[in-house]
Amino acid sequence: MSEDKIKIETGDAGKGESEISRDANTEELEERALSVFASERNEDLTALILSLITTFLVLLFTKWL
Amino acid sequence: MAQTQDNKPLFIISGLMILYAVIASSGILHPLMKYLHTAKTADLQVTMGFIAGGIGILGALVNSVRKPGTTIIDRFVLQPLPGILLILLMAMAIRWYVEPVVKLISHSLQPVLGFKIYKVLNLNYVILGLLAGVILTNTYGIPKFAQAGVKCARFVLKMGVIMLGARYSFAELAKLGTYSIFLVGFFVLGTVFFVLWLGGIFRQPKTMTGVLSAGMGVCGVSATVAVAPVVKAKSEEMAYTIGTILSFGIICMFVFPTIGHLAGMNAVQFGAWAGTGILNSAQVAAAALAFNAVDIKTLKVAEIFNITRVLFLPIIVLVLATWFGKESGKKLTFKEVVIDKFPIFILGFLLLFAMSSMGLFSPPTHYKGKFIDFSYNERSQVTEKEWETLKAALETGAIKGLTPEQMEAVRDLVAQRQIAGNYEDRNDKKLFYHQGEQRMFQLESILAAAKAKTVEIPKDVKAAIKHAVKQVHKKSKTVTTLTDCMIWFFAFGLIGLGMQITKKAIMQAGGWPLVIGVISGTTKAVLSFVVVLWLVKDVVLK
Repeated sequence: MSEDKIKIETGDAGKGESEISRDANTEELEERALSVFASERNEDLTALILSLITTFLVLLFTKWL
Repeated sequence: MAQTQDNKPLFIISGLMILYAVIASSGILHPLMKYLHTAKTADLQVTMGFIAGGIGILGALVNSVRKPGTTIIDRFVLQPLPGILLILLMAMAIRWYVEPVVKLISHSLQPVLGFKIYKVLNLNYVILGLLAGVILTNTYGIPKFAQAGVKCARFVLKMGVIMLGARYSFAELAKLGTYSIFLVGFFVLGTVFFVLWLGGIFRQPKTMTGVLSAGMGVCGVSATVAVAPVVKAKSEEMAYTIGTILSFGIICMFVFPTIGHLAGMNAVQFGAWAGTGILNSAQVAAAALAFNAVDIKTLKVAEIFNITRVLFLPIIVLVLATWFGKESGKKLTFKEVVIDKFPIFILGFLLLFAMSSMGLFSPPTHYKGKFIDFSYNERSQVTEKEWETLKAALETGAIKGLTPEQMEAVRDLVAQRQIAGNYEDRNDKKLFYHQGEQRMFQLESILAAAKAKTVEIPKDVKAAIKHAVKQVHKKSKTVTTLTDCMIWFFAFGLIGLGMQITKKAIMQAGGWPLVIGVISGTTKAVLSFVVVLWLVKDVVLK
């Protein structure tokens, strides 16, 4: 079944190559190799929430207090 | 205690951080910090060392006593912690040691080169961070213990992009002349679409063209970093774009002043052309000064056009997010493009931009946290000694060769002890601000003329004028702190992204980005040259 395998550039932290099945969702696999989050939406939401918390804290200490 | 062996790197890195914090807090490093101009950050260096090192030791201890699992804490904290701390350690070394050393070397080379090389090549934490990551990954390789941590880079970079929104304000854009907005807007959007079109012709990946279009159209490096996650650009594509922009900018910096002189451009025309055609803010300033170091108008106009270009960033981010959402899928409805495919973190960037425009962080008319305050304030005044110096110089006629307007500005500075509008006009804010702005402009022209040695002013008078100008330039503490957060997020994210750039990946990108960059950049420079010569006659300043 070697013809059903393809090489993608992932590996740890996006380095190196991995052989995966042609049917696999390569986009999703590549995505996971580049992030600790399960999906980009989760990554974006977490970044958004943490940034808003940081902004609030900065405002609190530099302006409001 | 089976995991202790795996925790060795984490113990070592954390130990190094705590050791550094102890040494820094003892004051031994103070002379070095002073020499590197980082003494102001001494407290931060100690605090960060202790906190990061402490968290590292705690994480290593927890890892030592419990079996690795798949809980949220394992995935997001314990596993990536060694990598996060390694990148943080590199970021600390770059921010506090490498960047200041590069600045010092660049300062010492200035008399030979005629410009500051770190500014022109943008050798700040952005480029140095990327380079550090690239060097590590292509020499030693990413250490195994750090691999999970490197995966946090893009996430942290997105936090930096969100923070970037706080630095700009719509009020600043609205304040600029309609003329420059139209001119720059046309070229920014024109270049973005031109690059996207060229990318299609040369069959380049959408991720590459997307990031290159923002870099070539808006403001170089920050636009590239902000747009890269929007169009899902790979790390090497981002690095390639930054390289293309900076190399093209260096050529422009030398060629623009020569062409400007040959074409007989006046100060305003050249300022408008440089601000539109050159991509990097420092390179714009360098070209303006190379063209004319005496007439402050060149630099002022170039800065206005440059700021207008930078302020288009939020619009370009929106345009590209929509373009990418539409292009990456097959047949998508409007809802799918705008709501489902739209990167959520960009909402954060736009939200902070809106908050900044409403004046939540600083007076709304700020730009990167800096604003000018002409209101009567004791803190804006020159010192008693400076005032006496200026008064005596006026009375004895020690200041010679000034224009009547410049002389009037000095006289007013003595009368009001600060740069401001007329006291009786203080209720008409627009007029009051305009008067203050005109006076500051005249005083800045005196300083430029003194620097170029076209007028003779005693040293202490020059220092007093310089101080008066400095006094009305205020900085928002909130925006400065948010910018500091952004810088750390960017430094972290870019080191991590640099670690994902292998030699092979760079080779695969080929030379096409450079070709597209040069074609679009040259087209923009030529077109803006023609338009500026044709349309801009003299006054564009409000």
